[in-house]
Formats: sequence, C-alpha cells, structure tokens
Amino acid sequence: MQTKIKRKNIWDLMFVAPACVLFFVFIILPFLQGIPYSFRDWDGFSPQINWVNFKNYINIFKDRMIYSSSWHTLQFTFVEVVFSNVFGLLFALGVKRKSKTNNILRTLLFMPFVISMVLASFIWSYVYSDVIAPIFNTRSILGNTTWVMTGLGFISVWRDAGYCMVIYIAALNAIPSSFYEAASIEGATRRRQFKSITIPMIVPAITANVSLLLSWGLKVFDYPFSITGGGPGTASTTINLYIYNNIFGFYHAGYGQALAIIFTIVIFLITTVVAKTLRSKETEL
Amino acid sequence: MKVDSKHSTKIISIIMIIVTLIVCAPFYVSFVYSVKTNQDITFTRLAWPKIMHWANYTKAIEMSNFFKALYNTIITTVPTVIIVTLFSIMAAYVIARNNTKGYNRLYLFLVGAIVIPFQAIMLPLYINLKNWGMLNTVEGFVLVKSGSLIAITILLVTGFVKTVPYELEEAATIDGATYPYVFFNIVVPLLKPIVLTSLIINAVYTWNDFQIALVILQKDYARTLPLTQFFFFSEHSIQLNLAFAAFNLSMIPLLVIYLIFQKYIVEGITSGAVKG
Repeated sequence: MQTKIKRKNIWDLMFVAPACVLFFVFIILPFLQGIPYSFRDWDGFSPQINWVNFKNYINIFKDRMIYSSSWHTLQFTFVEVVFSNVFGLLFALGVKRKSKTNNILRTLLFMPFVISMVLASFIWSYVYSDVIAPIFNTRSILGNTTWVMTGLGFISVWRDAGYCMVIYIAALNAIPSSFYEAASIEGATRRRQFKSITIPMIVPAITANVSLLLSWGLKVFDYPFSITGGGPGTASTTINLYIYNNIFGFYHAGYGQALAIIFTIVIFLITTVVAKTLRSKETEL
Repeated sequence: MKVDSKHSTKIISIIMIIVTLIVCAPFYVSFVYSVKTNQDITFTRLAWPKIMHWANYTKAIEMSNFFKALYNTIITTVPTVIIVTLFSIMAAYVIARNNTKGYNRLYLFLVGAIVIPFQAIMLPLYINLKNWGMLNTVEGFVLVKSGSLIAITILLVTGFVKTVPYELEEAATIDGATYPYVFFNIVVPLLKPIVLTSLIINAVYTWNDFQIALVILQKDYARTLPLTQFFFFSEHSIQLNLAFAAFNLSMIPLLVIYLIFQKYIVEGITSGAVKG
C-alpha cells in the first residue's frame, strides 16, 4: 500500500512537471532575470554595465510621462470595463431565451472577439473616420487628443462585450425561474425583481468579467500601438506602450525594466483589491 | 398577460436584431472596401459595390506574401495549442484531485502569476532566446506563447475537472490500471468538452497574437498573420482596398473555425468563469 501511494505521488509530480517547467522557463525565469536589469543604466544590448542602484525607480516618480500614460491607461480601462459589462449584460438579457434567432444573434454578437486586436483597430480607424465622424460632422475621434483613449476603449468594447455576454447568459439562465414566480406573486415589479433577484444572483459572473477585463484594460498595448502609435503627440501612450518604447525604442532598457516591475506590482494590487471587494459582495448578498 | 409577454419578446427580438446589425457593421465596411476600386471608395463610400473587384484579393495575396504568413501562423498555432492543452489537462488533473497544501499553493501561485504583463519579461526573454538561437524560430514562439497561455488554461481546466466524478478512476485503480492508463483512457474522454474549448480558445489567442510575435518574430520570413497585416497596412495604407482585402483574408480561417466550433467556446468559457 505504502509503495502504491508513493508511486501515485511520483506520477502526480511527473504530470504537473511539464507545465511547471514551461511556465518557469518562459515566464518566471525571465521575470526574475529582469530584476537586476532594473538597477542598471543600460541600453539593452551593450556589454557595459553601470549599476545605478535605485536611480531608475526614483526617476519613475519624476517622469511626467508616467502620470500622463497612467491617466490614459485608466481612461481606457474605465471604458473597457464599464461599457463591455453594461453592453454584455444588456445583450445577454436580450438574447438569453432559447430560440433559433437568439442562437444566431449570440453567434454574431460574439464574433468580434474572434478577430485580432490589430485588425479590429484597423477596421475601426475607418469606421471612426468614414462612418461615425461624418454623422457628427467632425473628424475622427482617434485624432482628438482628449477623446482618443475613449475611441480606443470602444474598439475593445466592441470586441469584448460579446465575451461578457456569453458569461452573463450562463449566469442568467442558472437563476431558478421559481424565484421570479414567487416574486411576482408577491407583487414585485420587473425593476424590483431585476434589482433584488437578477443582480445579486449574477454577482459571481460580474466578479469574473470585471477582474478579467480589468487586467486586459490595464495591460492595453495592441490598440494604441497598431493605429495611433501612441499619438496624436503622446495622447494615447499607455503604460505598456511606454515600457515597450523605453526598452526597444529609446534604448532605456534599465529604466523600462524598472517601470515594468513596478507596473506588475500595481496590476497585482489593483486586481487583487477589486476581486476581493467584489467577492465580499458575493457572500453579503 | 400572456399576449402582453408574447408582444414584449417580439419587441426585444427586433431590438436585438438591430443591435446585432450595428455590432456587425464594421464587417460590412471591411467587406465593401475590399471589393471596390480606390476611386469607388472615395466616391461611393459605403454603398454596396456595383462591380465586385475580386482581383483585389489576388493582388493582396501577392503583395502581402499572404501564404507565407498563413503558413507561419499555422505552424506556430498548431503545436502551441497541442502543448498547452496536453500539459494543462495533465497539471489540472493533479491539482484538482489532490487537495494538499503543496498543490493548493501551486494553484494560487499560477493564479497570481497571470498578472505578469509581457512587458515585464520581454527583454530577458529576448536575450535568452537570442542566446539559445531561438529568435525568429517556430520553436521560440511556440514555447513562449505556450508558457504565456498555460497558467490561464490550467485554471480553466481545473474548474472543470472538479465537476467530473471520481468513482470511475477509483474503480479502475483498484482493478490495477496504471496511472497513465487511467488518465488517458478514463479521465481524458470525460474531459472532452473542455479539451475542445482549450484547443479552440487557445487557437484564437495564438492565431491573433501580436505582442509576442512583435518581439520574437521580427524577421519578415518568420512573421505571422497579425504581424504581416501590421506591416502591410503601414506600408500600403493608401491602397485601402488591398489593405482591407488582406484583412479579410486573415480573418476568414478563424471565423470559419469559430462558426463550426462556437458551441465549445461558449460552453468552455462559462464553465471556467462561473464555476471556477
């Protein structure tokens, strides 16, 4: 018996090993290797190494681009998280009933999620300039320094609302219909039912969607990189784009690496706090 | 009351059809622009084309080196999804079936490490791959992309394994079946839905990958579709019709796969998100 258990444990280890090795070598190891880089004044390729202690980290707080790119990233994240979820939930409410039409509608509403962010960006740059701008008799939103992040945000809403919808449909259909029947017998209005039954019952789905989209939003890179290049000026330079530019564009690899490490910590804190807060709501209700 | 609710479902259906048409409108723009001449685009804009210029597509295929990029995308996507799916179901099986301190910690570690942005690892990764001679190679991209997808796939699959009954495995083990036999012949068949989901969703993510490809597949002979699109668009943005023809070409294979297997995508992401 003893040897049998031992043998099972060895098999267990052999089964988790491949995934762990891959994850360690290609994610954790480079992350750890990056830490010493962040204490150097280094261009990223020359053999000369200048150790500068915490100078890169101190410079982050003096860099005005950090403040503007953080603001751009937050603007994008706000639009992405709020509107993808609102539209996702509305779509879900609209097509949650089982029917042939609704099946087709679901398939089509999810379709934007399948195409790449690069293509979505290119197509939308023309939707903005050739379709939406003429309606309001203005120029494309992507050329406007104040609104460019909102414009990029809505491209991601277009792609991700369908994803949120799918999760909301599953959550909505899992609510027992007896809940609604009981509520209407007691004379609760539709709105009241939505507030007291639907929303509390789908909080786990809201948690899942908000946490996921939050991390996508904070890490935004493809959209501004592919169509606005961070512009006009630096109006759509996000944190991730700024890090990329520092490392591969401006040859400030040490500084970029320090920034990336701080950014990792910030994302970790934000997503943990938000997920914890939402999760505590789940048990409250 | 009954008439009223029938009425309201009809109204909702009509509203949702209109909403869906709006959501799909960008695909219309993309199609219409791809089959017009550039003059037509300037003068007739979004109107349905009078003459279809399918020649745009053959031209776009030639100019964007489409088949080379398609080939690169396929030979990187296929091994990536197989590696990610196989390794993830193996690891997820162990994690789901062992409620021990060690494996629970491993699980939490994987959850936490998902937040690491690619930006934080790209330079060391670039240097490592260069030293290992894997820059601009299929292997290099496949391994990095697999590494970046594996944690999230393990989370997805672990949630599902926990819903699969344990008794069959137990019975087989008592009968003397070996561990790998139990896993591949009893567990894997029960995991079929989540295996399909993992294959398809990871195929979508890999096919569309831009950031990793941008860093490690810089040479033009190694470029995948999104990267090719990016460079083609920056060089030919004046020839809008060709650019859009190229976009559509790279969208089609994925849309076909999606339409065939959409059931599994939908079931999979919900099983992971709501239960997990």
